Amino acid sequence: MSTYNTLTAEIIEQLQAAAPGHVITGEDINPDYSKDEMPIYGTHAPDCVVVPRSTEEVAAVMKICNENKIPVTPRGAGTGLAGGAVPLFGGVLIDTTKMNQILEYDLENFVVRIQPGVLLNDLAEDCSSKGLLYPPDPGEKFACVGGNVATNAGGMRAVKYGATRDYVRAMTVVLPTGEITHLGATVSKTSSGYSLLNLMIGSEGTLGIITELTLKIIPAPKVVASLIIPFEDLDTCISTVPKFKMAHMNPQALEFMEREIVLSSERYIGRSVFPQVIDGVTAGAYLLVTLDANTEDELDTLIEQAAELVMEAGAIDVLVADTPSKIKDAWAARSSFLEAIMEETKLLDECDVVVPVNKIASYLAYVNKTGEECGLTIKSFGHAGDGNLHIYQCSNDLTEDEFKARVDKFFELIYAEATAVGGLVSGEHGIGSGKIKYLVESVGETNMRLMEGIKRVFDPNMILNPGKVCYRL
Amino acid sequence: MNILVCVKQVPDTNEIKIDPETHTLVRAGVPSIVNPFDTYALEAGVQIKEAIGGKVVVVSMGPEQAADALKTCLSVGADAAYLVSGREFGGSDTLATSFILSNAVKTIEEKEGAPFDLILCGKQAVDGDTAQVGPELAEHLGLPQLTYAMDLTVEDGVVKIKRECDDGYDLMTTNLPAVITVVKLPTEPRYPTIRSKMAAKKKPIPVLTAEDLAIDVSRCGLKGSPTKVKSTYTPSREKSGVKIAGLPADEAAAQLATLLTDAKIL
Amino acid sequence: MSEAYQNIWVFVETECGKAKNVGFELLNPARELADKKGCKLIAVVIGKDVEHVAKDAICYGADSAILVEGDEYEYYSTDAFATALVELIQKYKPETVIIGATNNGRDMGPRVSCRLKTGLTADCTALDIDEETGCIAWTRPTFGGNLMATIECPECRPQMGTVRPAVFKKATYQEGKTGEIVREDIHVAADAIRTKLLERVKEVAEAVNLEEADIIVSGGRGVGSVEGFATIRELADLLGATVGCSRAVVDAGWMPHAHQVGQSGKTVAPKVYIACGISGAIQHVAGMSGADTIIAINKDEEAPIFEVADYGIVGNLFDVIPAFIEAYKKIKA
Repeated sequence: MSTYNTLTAEIIEQLQAAAPGHVITGEDINPDYSKDEMPIYGTHAPDCVVVPRSTEEVAAVMKICNENKIPVTPRGAGTGLAGGAVPLFGGVLIDTTKMNQILEYDLENFVVRIQPGVLLNDLAEDCSSKGLLYPPDPGEKFACVGGNVATNAGGMRAVKYGATRDYVRAMTVVLPTGEITHLGATVSKTSSGYSLLNLMIGSEGTLGIITELTLKIIPAPKVVASLIIPFEDLDTCISTVPKFKMAHMNPQALEFMEREIVLSSERYIGRSVFPQVIDGVTAGAYLLVTLDANTEDELDTLIEQAAELVMEAGAIDVLVADTPSKIKDAWAARSSFLEAIMEETKLLDECDVVVPVNKIASYLAYVNKTGEECGLTIKSFGHAGDGNLHIYQCSNDLTEDEFKARVDKFFELIYAEATAVGGLVSGEHGIGSGKIKYLVESVGETNMRLMEGIKRVFDPNMILNPGKVCYRL
Repeated sequence: MNILVCVKQVPDTNEIKIDPETHTLVRAGVPSIVNPFDTYALEAGVQIKEAIGGKVVVVSMGPEQAADALKTCLSVGADAAYLVSGREFGGSDTLATSFILSNAVKTIEEKEGAPFDLILCGKQAVDGDTAQVGPELAEHLGLPQLTYAMDLTVEDGVVKIKRECDDGYDLMTTNLPAVITVVKLPTEPRYPTIRSKMAAKKKPIPVLTAEDLAIDVSRCGLKGSPTKVKSTYTPSREKSGVKIAGLPADEAAAQLATLLTDAKIL
Repeated sequence: MSEAYQNIWVFVETECGKAKNVGFELLNPARELADKKGCKLIAVVIGKDVEHVAKDAICYGADSAILVEGDEYEYYSTDAFATALVELIQKYKPETVIIGATNNGRDMGPRVSCRLKTGLTADCTALDIDEETGCIAWTRPTFGGNLMATIECPECRPQMGTVRPAVFKKATYQEGKTGEIVREDIHVAADAIRTKLLERVKEVAEAVNLEEADIIVSGGRGVGSVEGFATIRELADLLGATVGCSRAVVDAGWMPHAHQVGQSGKTVAPKVYIACGISGAIQHVAGMSGADTIIAINKDEEAPIFEVADYGIVGNLFDVIPAFIEAYKKIKA
């Protein structure tokens, strides 16, 4: 267990000299810096916030903190769902949101170089205006790309294009010691020693601070359409999912959603998009599928093929969204799930387990049964195509302590079940501080020892983002 | 109940961007869609048909590609579609457009073998934003009109609408036949289903030319249009970024109030 | 052709004996046009018991007025109003007819212009005279405001246009100014009015509709308390605006979530966004940067909200807003 020093006026002066005009202290610190989107994992204010503009500033600040054993927590837009950016031990918080420049496109190698504080939404729009696509598409469009890399965020398009990891070619990192290093390269292959680049991706700000990124981009598909596919029940809905792959269809997105959450979301956005009763049959679950292609004809063929496939598998109907506004409307409901749940819920916790695709239906049945036994309201949706489920525990009448106790019990059971069926603790939200306990149970002490060992090599004084991922305090 | 819905194919104005260098509209790559207000008009027509029976016909005036917009309409409940097209019609303003459409209405009525009881239009097209073709069509046809409908029902030959007002609505009626322009509806327009989409693909869309309409071409196109576009420009959106600092609150506030009212922002 | 047609008319819309503002507003730019052309500016008033409106129109700048009164004009109907206006135009042959672009104005205008087989330019925001042709140059936004177009009607008369409300300011009311008021006895038979108004329903606008609001006044952490929002609301009421807020406010329980603008709230694009005591975190800015004009009031000169603001005041919002309300009322009065 490390003990940290407290931030003295003298150290703050040093920080101000290292990042002139970019240091915030005392009452000027915005309370938002003490939490992310899941305050249930604990909140804690930093003693000082630095909002650097360059790699060099980050390095200078890091060096001072390392010498003085001051804990440092990196933070982007603060949209995390696992407590990863909360400065549990106070100290210095480094806010990267002002390092938000898209630096350059290299259209011969199809990469873009950016600073870590660029918002996913801004990068997506900028790429789109150039006929390009940065495929990772997490639900939260106002997260920083640096944070997406730090959690290896996935998102809707991961089923076809892969997660953030697949699009990081190179990065500049400031190590906890203040050294600056470059990992990876613009090239598309490597067999050049341990992949430190891949260690950094998904390390949730515990191994170093990303200050620049080189990301792979692709030419945007020419035409897209989305299908809203209602099913009578969740089982039929989920069991359709593997059939897409079997039929060599490769949808860009393949999401499932239960009736309840669709209704919540439509109440929240104030418009009804998903059909509820079709030819007298009430829809109990839906698939939302996006297909892309390079020509209209190719797309039409794909749509017809997909429609035939799902109708045979028991879908009630297939609705086609093939204009930008119709596609936007269809996805607006999906994108608002989290907000809709937050709106209707006082106490909230969530998990984003990932299970093998063929286990989704039976796993969800287990989750719903366990939720009932634990006395919790459960709302689920997720990326059906890659087995990544977002399971929300909601309560409006329990005390916080009672809620936490029930959620604890619930988590123990469902994470154990996830491990038993061959799944993992987190698909894309990360471990942060909230899920360490379950990570240990899932991967075992040996793997935890390896992770901690790696952490020590990068961060001898253990000052960077303490209390997260593998470093238990 | 014979219902005609007038639709226009428009560029998706949400997707239109201004070229930062030339300050002109970038239209390349902007998708064409059915004018959103027209999709509500069509949905209203289809709902009335579903409630009391009848037929919904759609008509559009435009270039050949406008047939795509009509296909879309066929996939969400329209039973038949006609495209009014020809170079004589190009460059028409609202007076000429409504004149051509009124002639098309008569021709389609002959082809369909029955007069229309109800003619629905969107309140305006999102490219031109004039809101004039609906009322002018009613005038040419000598029909009563009700505009800005946010809900409508038909019963016993009477159409009843909620007409949008600033602080609520007016409940209004007129006897059929009539022209109604639609703002929105309590429900969103439906999505096409795969079956309706494939069926729509196979339906023929007859094209009506100036000859088919036997129309006075001197009243069509540029020749028949009393209004002329003299010039166009893009409004400047450069941020002035006026920051008032170091003044007492009342002076600063007075200065801001003057700036905002002079610039007609408030 | 145009020899026979002269003078500029402004149609001053009335309902239930009262004038709508836009008619008086339009007399102001129309006065300028009439002076440039050296012709008369005439107000046309149709309604029930509206002689006072005709008098007011003269005080707002018209040289004279034409007045049509009757029970059938108490509420607007397309048939009654279009019939009356067409009859007047055919009798007096004005060169230009300007109509307020209210729902009623835009309902009646095309009916009239079509019957007269002349041109009508919709929803204009600027008026001028083309020096070369002498025609009115009607300027209007199109393509959802992305493009402005200037339109003329060179060959047909009258040249007609509808003009958007609140674009022009009323001229100063000239107390005691008089002019000729010509009464025209035009009546439309009940059975010639084919539409019926059954009921006027006022809806209480309690639902928060940030997305469709033209003006949003938004408060942030700087507002400090639930009570502090009274000041925000006062400004919003004055401007006919919807109240928004930042996430911090919702988290603190000062406002319900439905009012939240930003990343985890609503994305808005009003004409005017007034951010009071909002620092301008990216999450918030992401939800409102589509506003046409952003106005910021914040005591922290370095607050990032000023980076995106078109207008800003550095100062305490509880001093600035009341002062602004007073200054604004003075200007509008």
